[in-house]
Amino acid sequence: MAGFDVARLTSEKSITETPRSWSRILARVRQGEMPPKNSPAPAPEVRERFSAWIDTRLRTAACSDGIAPGPAPLRRLNRAEYAATIRDLLNIHINAGHALPADGAGGEGFDNAAETLFLSPIHAEKYLEAANTALGYAMSDPRSRARFLIAEPNETTSPEQAARKVLVAFLPRAFRRPVKPEEVEHYVALFRGARGRGESQDGTIAFALRGVLVSPHFLFRLEDPNPDPAPRLVGPYEFASRLSYFLWGSMPDETLFGLAAQGSLHEPEVLQAQVVRMLKDPKSREFAENFVEQWLGTRELGRDIKPDPKLFPAYYDAEIQSAMRYEPILFFQELLAQNLSLLNLIDSKFTILTNKLQRHYGIELSERLRQQPKRVELPPGTHRGGLLGMAAVLAVSSQPHRTSPVLRGKWILEAILGTPPPPPPPDVPKLEEEHGGAAARTLKELLLQHRRNPACASCHNRIDPLGFGLENFDVLGRWRTEDNGKPIDASGELPDGTAFNGVDELRVVLLRQKDLFVRNLTSKLLGYALGRGLTIEDSCIVNQITAELEKNDYRAQTLILGIVNSVPFRYQAGTAANAPVPAPAGGSGNTRKTEGST
Amino acid sequence: MTALSRRTVLRGVGATLSLPWLEAMMPKPARAAGSRPPVRMAVLYMPNGVHPEMWTPAGEGRDFELSSTLAPLADVKNEITVLTNLWNRSAVAGDGHYVKTSGFLTCTTVTKTLGVDINCNGVSMDQVAAQRIGKQTPLPSLELGTAPVTTGVDRNVGYTRVYGSHIAWSGPTSPLAREINPRSVFERLFRATQPRGDAAGQDRLLLDRVLDDAKQLRERLGRSDRHRLDEYLSAVRSLEERLERAGRPEELAWKPRAPLPEEARPAGIPKDFAEHVRLMLDMVALAFQSDSTRVCTFMFGNAVSNQNFSFLDGVRGGHHSLSHHQRDADKLRQYQLINRWHVEQYAYLLKKLRETKEAEASLLDNSMILFGSGLRDGNRHDPHNLPLLLAGCGGGRLAGGRHLVYRNDTPLSNLYVSMLEAFGAPVERFADSTGPLSGVLAGS
Repeated sequence: MAGFDVARLTSEKSITETPRSWSRILARVRQGEMPPKNSPAPAPEVRERFSAWIDTRLRTAACSDGIAPGPAPLRRLNRAEYAATIRDLLNIHINAGHALPADGAGGEGFDNAAETLFLSPIHAEKYLEAANTALGYAMSDPRSRARFLIAEPNETTSPEQAARKVLVAFLPRAFRRPVKPEEVEHYVALFRGARGRGESQDGTIAFALRGVLVSPHFLFRLEDPNPDPAPRLVGPYEFASRLSYFLWGSMPDETLFGLAAQGSLHEPEVLQAQVVRMLKDPKSREFAENFVEQWLGTRELGRDIKPDPKLFPAYYDAEIQSAMRYEPILFFQELLAQNLSLLNLIDSKFTILTNKLQRHYGIELSERLRQQPKRVELPPGTHRGGLLGMAAVLAVSSQPHRTSPVLRGKWILEAILGTPPPPPPPDVPKLEEEHGGAAARTLKELLLQHRRNPACASCHNRIDPLGFGLENFDVLGRWRTEDNGKPIDASGELPDGTAFNGVDELRVVLLRQKDLFVRNLTSKLLGYALGRGLTIEDSCIVNQITAELEKNDYRAQTLILGIVNSVPFRYQAGTAANAPVPAPAGGSGNTRKTEGST
Repeated sequence: MTALSRRTVLRGVGATLSLPWLEAMMPKPARAAGSRPPVRMAVLYMPNGVHPEMWTPAGEGRDFELSSTLAPLADVKNEITVLTNLWNRSAVAGDGHYVKTSGFLTCTTVTKTLGVDINCNGVSMDQVAAQRIGKQTPLPSLELGTAPVTTGVDRNVGYTRVYGSHIAWSGPTSPLAREINPRSVFERLFRATQPRGDAAGQDRLLLDRVLDDAKQLRERLGRSDRHRLDEYLSAVRSLEERLERAGRPEELAWKPRAPLPEEARPAGIPKDFAEHVRLMLDMVALAFQSDSTRVCTFMFGNAVSNQNFSFLDGVRGGHHSLSHHQRDADKLRQYQLINRWHVEQYAYLLKKLRETKEAEASLLDNSMILFGSGLRDGNRHDPHNLPLLLAGCGGGRLAGGRHLVYRNDTPLSNLYVSMLEAFGAPVERFADSTGPLSGVLAGS
């Protein structure tokens, strides 16, 4: 930490006075970087207690003066948003974004974070090409043509008049806001230019529309900057876009545009009704997919993480891969649409299966499943229900050729509890060994032996037992009771003495830590919704939402409503950085109450 | 110096000299100024380091024996230089992988962040080259890989994985997106090299419209948002310039550009990883052969890649986890097989370039192809004594066929100073360089 003097930060008061410095310290302490190498280090429990205390102080301080909206930086549509927006704008069903480069992730770990949505020179080229392909497709499909080619030249309409009509209707949808007449004229001029070269009406219209699709007004989510020092509510069209890109990963539809035009979208009842409608719309799949796959890391399955084809040929079947991949996504979508408890993610009585996934799991059902995924109530004793029994999660936290209690334990700490362990120090032997070997000891025995090394034990005592709880699942998430001819031992004991045996008991253990889980999920989702990393100020909102959730049986829509009603989601910061939104009279916080929402 | 220097030749004597080599040494009238083939530069990045004891050749100078990992280079031994004891000082701190990947070609220390203040604090060596001469080709540079950007942020160490997925940075905050689909690369090369006449002109009209929109918009935005919009503006401007240049192909410097053979058009991303890599390397060769670009970077995988290498006999498991071998003999054996496979692919590219004739020499003679990793022993995350190989003659500017052993901890950036000089884009300094790297350039 160059140029960072901690000598002055000695009092408790300094935490509230210099929160930014302290949150940096907190991160470094948690990651095991402070105190530096070769200085005496605190015991892990002391480290954790110290971190938790700083964390609480920081949050309390941040929440005491009302909530500032935080930054809402300019961002372009990411690859998935681009594809979905083109799909809805042109009413076509091809993935127009497939040739665009993939986007990296920032902030809370999502690829919609403004900070990592770079533009390389290749993007300009790809956008031109993608627009060309999409329009070519749309022009040749009668259903899609009818959607945007709303006028054609005839005796009473000149080609240019027809083009103007098309553009007057198309531009506000493409730019997601009303457009000025002179903006329309810019694109009519493109039409005229192309027309002058003697092209067909279709060709010239497509040319002008291509201009629209490479405009920054289309490619970026633009919000008019707020010139005042104080925060203000974001404009109605901008709010419609914030909502639709959050819950649909795409542009607003006619209803949202209509409500924006009326100026009523910020009204609490209207907003709530829209959120519920949007979550029940099939387009919420886009949201569930983007959020869940990045939250759980399952997007890497089939990419960087692939089960060994020689050892696990069962994975190499398109239907099973798709069923595995969509199980957590559709499960999450179901929680949202039906407003079910988020604790279903830890333990649930249902899951989403296809016929192949049912067989893969070895579940007996009275009904006959087909290739289409379907919600299934689980009979007792299946050990499924919740993320920990899902094949995608179990595969993505395995090595290609065998299960890994360390990776799975780490996965639970990160994805479920939001308490990632610090990285192992370099050049220490890792804990794991291959199965078998000369001594033919079990993996568990080897790990236990390694944990006698105190340098490793401090973290692995936390990591490994959680992973052992999942040992009854093989690399592909199939149930097993023995491995290499030896019975599976799925028992574990956490550092606090909590003992459990197998995934069913592990779920109970995790449910006891539901506060951590709910806080983690809320932070992730808020970061996803805002498209940026969270600041200390944002943790006030996380506090408020988790409190609401506790009061509302952890219902999924309470979480979504808490986010869309939050200050950073509805407001725009002013020129005075960190100016808070004044708390409404009589209200305890800035998050609108969401009790009673169903 | 018009062809290879005598000293280069003398150094190479004793080993097998291939015919193109001899041809390349002959001063030919065709090699007069203006018609001399351009120098091409490629960097092949391998993630996760190497088995440290199986990499370094025995012996020094011309008289060296390839190590077991380098054995696949036997056929091209005279065209490679093995560089020992270079390090990347800027990549010592930070974490195990991310700083060592994004810093591999920049020799700077990237800012630790989950994203918000992402900064590599430099420009990568390949982009210094591209910025100097990129305008002489349809594409200034080509960035290739096999895997999309790894998703997520690495909360264990506090870095965004963007850092682990990029080696080419055109500016401190501008990592360059890579193409991973060989078919898209081919199409891109095809478009770039085929004059499209009116279509290019039309595209420019659209881009003018974009620039107008963006300029007006820019006035309304705050400073930090302008930066993002400016990225788009500069992307559009550079495309516009390219389209304009494409309209005047007669002005491109190097005439004997080979057309792209239609049969080389790949179908898409193959399921098989090894085939995927081969196709991407084919694209590098095609790009150079057609003079679509002279600068190319290729990442075999992203940092921390856990690519399953069980397609190799005797390997079971993921690349990254095997790189943490814990000095276990069986893991080290598998780790080395993976390293060796990467070297084999490098040899494949080198041979392919050597088989491609250009003027009186081969494409390899006119190229310099660097192969390396940002760390040495994957178990130690160690940026000392990096595994580095340089191949090709750089149009006669590079001395090859040797194992050069430097003083411990000689800056990697010195190599880049020498490479940039050989490329024709000399720099006074590069990052923490202390001068050119002796022995790399012919006659140095």
